[in-house]
Amino acid sequence: MTALDQPILADAVEAPPDTPDGLFTRIRRSRRIRFSFAVLMLILLSSLLTMPLTLRSDHPWGYNNQYALPVRVGPSFSASALWCGSDTLGRSLIGRCLLGGAASLAIGLAAAVISMTLGVAVGLVAGYRGGWIDALLMRIVDILYGLPYLLLVILFKIAFEKPLSLLVRSESAANFIVLFIAIGIVSWLTMARVVRGQVLFLRSLPFIEACKAAGLGQWRIFTRHLLPNLVGPIVVYATLIVPSAILQESFLSFLGIGIQPPLPTWGSLAADGLSPALNPIVSHWWMLVLPCTLLAVTLLALNFLGDGLSDLFDPKAEAAKI
Amino acid sequence: MLKLLSIPLALLLLLAAAVVWSGGGAEEPRADFSFISRTDVNTLDIGQMSYLADMRVAYAIWEGLYAMHPETLVPVPGVASSHEVNPEKTVYTFHLRPEARWSNGDPVTAHDFVFAWRRILQSPGEYTYLHYYISNAETYCMRYARKEPVDFKTVGLEVPDPYTLRVTLPNPVTFFLDLMAFPAFYPLHEKSMRPFAHVGQDGRVVYDQQFTRPPNLVTNGAFKLTRWEFKRRLRLETNPRYWDIANVKSRSIDMAIVEDPLTMLRRYEFGKVDWLADIPSEIGSELMGMNRPDMHNFPGFATLFITLNCKPTLSGDRPNPMADFRIRQAMAIAIDKKTITHTILRMGEQPATNYIPPGVFAGYQSKPGLAYNLPLARRLLADAGYPGGKEFPRLTFIFRADRPAVRDWVQNVVKQWHTNLGIEVALQTLEGKTLRTRVNARDFDMAPGDWTGDYNDPSTFTDKFRSNSENNDSAWINEQYDRLVHAAASESDSAKRFRLLEQAEQTLNDQLPVIPLCHLTNSYLFRDNVKGINLNPRNMTIFKGVYVQRKP
Amino acid sequence: MIRVIAFRLLQFPLVLAVIYLTTFMLVWVVPGSPFGRAERKLDPIAEQAMKERFHADSWKSFLAYYPIQVITKGDFGRSMQYQEWSVTDIIKVSLPVSVTLGIFALTIGTIFGVMIGTLAAVNRGGLFDWLSLTIALIGISIPSFVVAALLLATFTGRFGLFPIGGCGGFREMVLPAVALSLAPLAYIARLTRISMLDVLGSDFVRTARAKGLSRFTVIWKHCLRNAFLPVLSYLGPAAAATFVGSFVVETVFSIPGLGQHFVNSVKNRDQTLILGTVMIYSVFLLTFNLLVDIAYSFVDPRIDITAKSSS
Repeated sequence: MTALDQPILADAVEAPPDTPDGLFTRIRRSRRIRFSFAVLMLILLSSLLTMPLTLRSDHPWGYNNQYALPVRVGPSFSASALWCGSDTLGRSLIGRCLLGGAASLAIGLAAAVISMTLGVAVGLVAGYRGGWIDALLMRIVDILYGLPYLLLVILFKIAFEKPLSLLVRSESAANFIVLFIAIGIVSWLTMARVVRGQVLFLRSLPFIEACKAAGLGQWRIFTRHLLPNLVGPIVVYATLIVPSAILQESFLSFLGIGIQPPLPTWGSLAADGLSPALNPIVSHWWMLVLPCTLLAVTLLALNFLGDGLSDLFDPKAEAAKI
Repeated sequence: MLKLLSIPLALLLLLAAAVVWSGGGAEEPRADFSFISRTDVNTLDIGQMSYLADMRVAYAIWEGLYAMHPETLVPVPGVASSHEVNPEKTVYTFHLRPEARWSNGDPVTAHDFVFAWRRILQSPGEYTYLHYYISNAETYCMRYARKEPVDFKTVGLEVPDPYTLRVTLPNPVTFFLDLMAFPAFYPLHEKSMRPFAHVGQDGRVVYDQQFTRPPNLVTNGAFKLTRWEFKRRLRLETNPRYWDIANVKSRSIDMAIVEDPLTMLRRYEFGKVDWLADIPSEIGSELMGMNRPDMHNFPGFATLFITLNCKPTLSGDRPNPMADFRIRQAMAIAIDKKTITHTILRMGEQPATNYIPPGVFAGYQSKPGLAYNLPLARRLLADAGYPGGKEFPRLTFIFRADRPAVRDWVQNVVKQWHTNLGIEVALQTLEGKTLRTRVNARDFDMAPGDWTGDYNDPSTFTDKFRSNSENNDSAWINEQYDRLVHAAASESDSAKRFRLLEQAEQTLNDQLPVIPLCHLTNSYLFRDNVKGINLNPRNMTIFKGVYVQRKP
Repeated sequence: MIRVIAFRLLQFPLVLAVIYLTTFMLVWVVPGSPFGRAERKLDPIAEQAMKERFHADSWKSFLAYYPIQVITKGDFGRSMQYQEWSVTDIIKVSLPVSVTLGIFALTIGTIFGVMIGTLAAVNRGGLFDWLSLTIALIGISIPSFVVAALLLATFTGRFGLFPIGGCGGFREMVLPAVALSLAPLAYIARLTRISMLDVLGSDFVRTARAKGLSRFTVIWKHCLRNAFLPVLSYLGPAAAATFVGSFVVETVFSIPGLGQHFVNSVKNRDQTLILGTVMIYSVFLLTFNLLVDIAYSFVDPRIDITAKSSS
């Protein structure tokens, strides 16, 4: 099919039709979205729905039920808790991976939300207004980039974890919240730069000039004309932030400032499993393979979902055949 | 078209230039003996060093008045050929051997020792306290630090002639010769350091530490440092002017720095190095399970324990249940330590009920402490007012999460307390320095701890719990203990001292300011063609006698 | 244009000063002393003496000494952890290693990323789209410490193609560079794909095709240049981050680069080294971001970064 066969769209001035009917039909039509959504839901729901089991301390699937199983045994079908093997403390790996999924996904999504809101806002304003506002915002972004991230996180934890745990009356909840913010606080920076760059480009296109000439309000230009053209990069970027946040957490855990053991995350499970699994002498491969597979599958599904969604929102996507 | 192609082309050119810039290529021939250290040397300034990697190199390139015998670790003559001691054992006179030479050919004299020791007192480091056994050294150090006028002549050091050094001690020190083999008592070559001296505004001389970087460094040991590539490797070559050169077995030694456990093991497995000196638990536990002939596991000079805060109140004015020794006992005997050593650590450690590692000090006999006993633990807890753990305040266990083995055993201990005693302990991970700050400020409930001895005497362990010790992390105060340790410090009869220290240790084992979990082990990986590596608890390698038997 | 560049360059010292002072403040309030080991407490007399030697006994003496040294001599002082080495020494020996590796990684990442992204966009929805993106994304779906360790486990050894870690020639560089390139590769592939789709849908592409130009020519000559824009904004910070090295890759492959010091200096509270590494990184960052902004107007002359407030 060549471009000539395509119906010629009016120029990219107008946003895509977003009547609920049209959107949903298109979502349902997209195989990519359906498939990745199904995979994500499967993982998310199984993580969430098994929480009553995995959080229990007396169930074999319990995330911290130590020595419920023999230590370091490979996957077997003799007991449901052993489907994916057990770890160094004789805990069921399937239980820990499921609970770790809930924790990891929460961290990833929180980071994505923070960077979506902050990053897009800053990038839009900087790119569109230009001049000294752009300079100021971008220098602030530069400065935040430059500051030593680990030091920020360490300080952040020391400063906020104690007061927060008094406020929410739970140490693990406070640990979680601080972790969300610590990861979110830097993830929006690149988003801001990407959005700004895109806006700089869009601003130079004739259709924005046309909008201005037509006397459209700034808010309207922002929401109706700029944003729809930005959705692609934003969604792609947001879905890229989720994996990087999840991996960032594993790095922080590795340094001892991430999630509080015995609570698992996929990242920390992978970190724990690394040396037992890659040991050239005796390999406990299952300790690494399961968390990594879950991570990889989830993140791939997220990325494909992001692609599908950005295609949907992109006003020109339909025409993008060559 | 060309324009776009030029980007990758430019990148490739840049790459080529960068490869040249980063200086790859020229490799030195392989050393006679090579080994992997997990960390780079921190400093080679003998006054400042405290890490094992630093000491290991120091033993090779310096020599003190006395040196360690490679096998028995008994002090044998080094720079000094002999010594005399007065009947009270407080005045040591060392006779230096005239043939001892610095690596640049200068003779090693008593002045070099005085210069080095004086410098340590003037810019103190972690092991300066070992010099406090010498008369007036502590006073000198303190007053110098406070910038008060002070005369070095008051310190108990005399040089009657360049080859004689007389040291005066206020109290007899039975292990003084051992100390003479310790890096803090090595000499320094003043002339080679002069270019690095700065005279401050107050007229005091400070030496820029760059004097330790080759080729500036002049040493008097069996080897000299010829290359030090930061975070890559160190190269030692024999010092041809060393007086005992005939007994030095290898011509060159390479120390490569590899941090990652798996990379380290791979290098060894594929024959790139002869010796893995510090085997991390990530790989060590599996190697232990294999019964490999090249895996050498042996008792160490350290004890792993849980430090309990013994202050009457904890931070935030919470009452401290652990101030009651019955609670500490209950917590200690409710831990099945065998689970920890045999399923988690798995490095050949034995569960410990006492504090000092057994068998490392000849003639010293530790008595066993309290054994695992659940009924007794529950009774003690009930006696202290918390039957079944009811209303036991929620304590927090702080620990570092960057070591997998620690992370696992801490989780297990807390779980055991929960099942065995019904008490709830929260976990909190902290990063290393934050943890140290909290412990120093006694702003913690409990934390993992370990203690490695510094010199060959039980007091290196017992001094930690003196009530005025900086390292008494538990803030534990016990008059009887202080009395015993103090009495031992001024006792000149070795056997009597040991009895006093044994009693002191027993107080510790009973009162449990720390809960001993196990005595740590050392592990080396080397094949049987490597000769001369000694498996001594203090993890000390005398490189003089180390060599590899290569096939002709 | 030149005025803008000059103006940005004039901002550099100001931004760097703000970063220096903020970092200094962070370094000073974070608990933990740079001296002594984690296992035991350092003798207070020794600690005091060391602090004085390093002008770190109070924040005033620190600020009175170091910033002047930095400005007048470009000297960040001595590392507090590795006392024999000045921060400048450390940067001098480790930066070339990291930059080489970074350029290598970025070259791989950019070339393959753009290629995969473009092909995926052109074959949108097709098998290649799925396959290539999956491969590209694997790199960021698995933690870098796993990927690096796996690469090392697979490709080295007795009969392996590459040496087991270390630093030096080209062969040593290949595996770590591949490990380091995976993240930028994935990002670039994704960003290229999405912006390529955007460009493919625009009028001028259709016009060009209608003119009878071949698919390849249209993509190569007309689309790539426009689709490169979001990649470019990503490349600024990415290049800075890649050039100063990566903790994980350097640890696994035992490469003496600068990346490890970003983590270790903070762990050790090595105040002078923290400030040194942060300043190096910031200089890279500012330079690359400026270069990216300049490149914007080369890639698309319509973009005007000099534009004043457009309301």
